Order: sequence, then C-alpha cells, then structure tokens
Amino acid sequence: MASQSTLARREEAGGRLSKAFKDYFWGVAFLVPALAVFGLFLWTPIVKGVVYSFYNIDFVNGNRFVGWTNYAEALASSDMGIAVRNTLLYMFLGVLMGFWVPSVVAIAISELRRFQGVMRLVVYLPNIVPAVALYAMWIWLYDPLGPLNQFLSWFGIDGVNWLTDKRWATFSIVLAETWQGFGATALIYLAGIVGIPKDLYEAAEIDGAGVFRRIRHITLPGIRHLYLLLFIMQLIATSQGFQTQVALTGGGPNNATLTYMYQIINQAFTFLNYGRASALGVMMFVALTLLSAVLYRLQGRSPQA
Amino acid sequence: MSKVVRERSIMSSFDMNKKSVMFAYGIMLLALLALTVTLLYPFGMTLFGSFKTKEEIFVFPPSYFPHHFEWGNYALGFKYVNLTRAFMNTLLLYAGNAFFALLIPGLAAFSLSQMKVPYRKTATLFFMSTLMIPSATYLIPNFLNLKSLGMLNSYWAFWLPAGANAFNILLLKSFMDGINKELFEAARMDGASELRCFFKMAVPLSLPVYSTLLIFAFTATWNDWYWPSLVLSVKEKYPISSLVYYDIVTATMMTWNVKFSVLTAIMIPPLIFFIIFQKNIMHGLDLSGVKG
Repeated sequence: MASQSTLARREEAGGRLSKAFKDYFWGVAFLVPALAVFGLFLWTPIVKGVVYSFYNIDFVNGNRFVGWTNYAEALASSDMGIAVRNTLLYMFLGVLMGFWVPSVVAIAISELRRFQGVMRLVVYLPNIVPAVALYAMWIWLYDPLGPLNQFLSWFGIDGVNWLTDKRWATFSIVLAETWQGFGATALIYLAGIVGIPKDLYEAAEIDGAGVFRRIRHITLPGIRHLYLLLFIMQLIATSQGFQTQVALTGGGPNNATLTYMYQIINQAFTFLNYGRASALGVMMFVALTLLSAVLYRLQGRSPQA
Repeated sequence: MSKVVRERSIMSSFDMNKKSVMFAYGIMLLALLALTVTLLYPFGMTLFGSFKTKEEIFVFPPSYFPHHFEWGNYALGFKYVNLTRAFMNTLLLYAGNAFFALLIPGLAAFSLSQMKVPYRKTATLFFMSTLMIPSATYLIPNFLNLKSLGMLNSYWAFWLPAGANAFNILLLKSFMDGINKELFEAARMDGASELRCFFKMAVPLSLPVYSTLLIFAFTATWNDWYWPSLVLSVKEKYPISSLVYYDIVTATMMTWNVKFSVLTAIMIPPLIFFIIFQKNIMHGLDLSGVKG
C-alpha cells in the first residue's frame, strides 16, 4: 500500500516534470541562443576584465596573480592624472559647446514653414557618411593653411594651429564632433517638440504670452525629459571618447588629447600591459556607475533598465 | 482664409504681424542658413577637391571650385586601395551582423513577450543589465576573450557578438508586447508551431522595428573602423572604413586631390542607401526619441 502511493507520487512528479518540460520547452529554446551569445561575448569579458585586473597577463609564460599591483601602478603613473584631466575637460567642453545646440536647432526647425524636410536631411547628413571620411575632412579644414584659417583671416584674425596647439586641440576635437553628431540629437528633440499638443500654444497665446514665453514655459518643459536623458547619454559617451582623438591628433600634442580611454588602448596595444588596461577599465566602470547613480538620483527617478 | 488650414506651431500666423517677432524670425532663418552652409561646405569641398589638379590643391588661399575637372584622380585613388574587395567585405560583414542581430534578439524578445518561460525576470535582467555597463570598460577583455576563442581575424568575431544586443531585445520586446496575445493563442489552438508563430506572425507584424534595426546595423557596420582593425590582422579582410582610414586618411605621401576622390567614392553608397530608406530612418529616430 505504502509503496504503491510512493510510486503514484513519483509518477505524478514525473508527469509534472514532463508537463513543465512540454510547457517551457519552446520558450526556453527561443531564449537559448541569446543566453549563449550574451554569456559568451558580454558576460565572459565583463567578468574576465575584473579577474584580469589582478593578473599580469603573459601569453607566453602564463598569467601570474599580482594582487592590487595593476591598480597601484595605474594610479601612480604620470599619465593617469593627465588622462583624467583631459577627459574631464573634453566632457565639459562637449557639454558647453555641444549640449544646447541640438535643442535650439530643433526648435528653429520646428518653426520653419517651408523646407522643413530638407532641413532635417541636411542636419542628419554628417551621420550618414562614414566617420573616417569626416576625419579626413576635418584634418583638411584644420590644416594651418586650410579653409578654416583662411576664413578667420577675412576678419583679420590670425590663424590657429588647431590640432597641434596644446590649447586648441581638445576644442578642435569637440568642435568637429559637435558638427558631426548634433543632427541626430536634434531630430530626437524635434520628435519631442512635434509631440507637444498645439492647443497649449493656442491657449497661451490667447492669455497673452509672447513667443519667447511660450518657448520657455511650454516647449522647454515639454522636452525636459529628453534634456535629462540626453545629458546623461552625452556624458557617458564622451567619458569613453577616444576614436576621434586617435584619428585627428593621436593623443598629442604632448598628451593634450590623451583621454582615459585612449590610455587604456595604449596600455593594451602599445605596451601590451593587458592587466593594467583591464584594471583601468574596472576603475572606469566604477566611476561611471557612480556618475550615473548620482545623475539618476538628481533626476529623482530610479534607474531603469 | 485659405482652404488648407495650416496646423500652427509655437508661432501662429498672427504673431507674424508683430515687427519684433518678424525680426527674430528673420535672424533665426539667417542662422539656419548659415548652419546649412557650414554643414554642406565640407561635402562640397571634398567633392570639388576630388577634381582638382595636383597644382591646384596646393594653392593658397585654397580655392573652392576646380578650374577644370581632373577625372584622373579617381583612377589614381582606386589604384591605392582595393575598394571593390573592401566593399564586398563590408557587405559580407553587414549580412552576418544583420542576420544575427535580428534573429537572436528577435527569438529572445518573442519568448520573453509571448511565451511561457521560467525565471522570466532573471533572464530579462541577464540581458538588460548589460545596457548599464559601458562597452569601453570591457573592450580589452573582450579582445582577449575573442583571442582565446580563436576568433581573431575571422568575421565570426563580429557576427556572433552582434547577436548579443540588448537594445534590439528591448526594442523588439516592447513592440511585441503590443501585439495581442490572443492572436498567438488562436494560432496555437489551430496547431501552429511556435516557430511558425514567430516567423509567420511576429516577424511580419514587427516589420517597422525590424527595418529600423536593419538600418542601424548598416550604419554601425559601415562606420566602424577601429574595432575591425584590431580584430582583423590582414588588410585583405578589412571593411571599407578601416581600409580607407589606414590607406588613405593616414597616408602621408598621397596628395589631397587623390584622397578626396576616394573619400567621395565611399560617401556615395551610404547616401544612396539613405535616400532609399529616408522614411524608415526618420521613423527610427522618432522611435528612439519616444523610447527615451
């Protein structure tokens, strides 16, 4: 009797298992490829990065555990301070020169009565062509004898060594990147502006609000959420910037455009010091996580995945 | 009043009667015009520069338009880089990237959105938390990981990781969440397999998102130059951007008229692509704006 009931229970359990198997089989099967590639190509490097940061990576003699040495060496190196300062300057200039441009352009475009479609295409144009072509354009524009200095000379201003003068190099890079990238952001703002209900303007106008007050009290609050989001996105993107620096200045002149990320690349592929490069990456992750936590807190919202 | 009633924007036609507003509007139009000129100038410079003779490119102050058209620059430029091969490489890369970046996240999104799955929350977290980790922070371990997998110098190092795209899962899932569940219940009742539900119903219904993601994948593949040059060790496998960067942009012995000819040539295919898919691209940007 007792054995019979166990058997029944076991059968029932088996049945439940096979039922669960049948219910879930396809759902899980659809997830497996994604789980595999995320595990293999995202989570493995992320975890390995933390592990490697405590090792001296040597492809020939094998890896050796070195504790916090990579971190200590990275923090003590003279490049570290330069790189952090350059990156902060680069982020700051990016906000100062680039952050407000797209929204102003978007408001202006939204007010166009004609050629609005053409204008959208024109501002988006630099996003369409390959970045390497734009790098070449800017190298030519920034040439000491190139078009930009020629333009300045019309106003009696002496030319600037855009990319080879320490004081101007970061500025020049930010200028080029702003030119190249503001269009896509402007179109995102434009989508937000178009979505603002028109009767709000109507009502404000009847109440006697002028055009600028309408912009200040209706348009700008209407795209407030975009401002916050795009601000965070810009900071996170510029904190990792290095490709334009590689292409336009090579980190020079005299390390003036050596950003933090550029330093990681140098450690890895010039000095083959993969351990320290990984340690730098981990420190950057910690810094960026703190940064976005602070920004989200300021925004008064919990982080959303 | 005309027959077509214009929808108003910030300003109404009424505002236009005020002098101060007219003045500000005029300044705004001039600013936009100046912006258009600064945006188009470098493109014209590249195009016209590609037709200049060697002597003309060195003239100071630089001229904008060429005196006569020197087509020979193109023939010369194409001798330095094998653009045809690089173009085929880029297409091959794009085909694989697009395939994996649409199929794998698509299946996962459908599963999370419309199917019975155990530990749904954990799986979602497993995918979505990667969005919070900046890719630059694990660039080096990523490279070492591909090296230890023996995938360096192979296109698989691009294709398979392209499938690990949390943004695509997010976008596809939120779209599929909007499809009525009963639609799939009915199909299952009629004996349709899950694969059939996915390929015959979910994919066609999500076509707007899919076309957007195809375009994103194209721009990403066409633009990426740094990562391919790290992962691929032979120039014969380089996509167009990497090849042009190393053989043209950084070349010191090449005169600029020849450089401009190659640059003009590589700008044309994405422009054509853009003109064809203009509507979808603009729609995609709206989509990402609303998502934000």
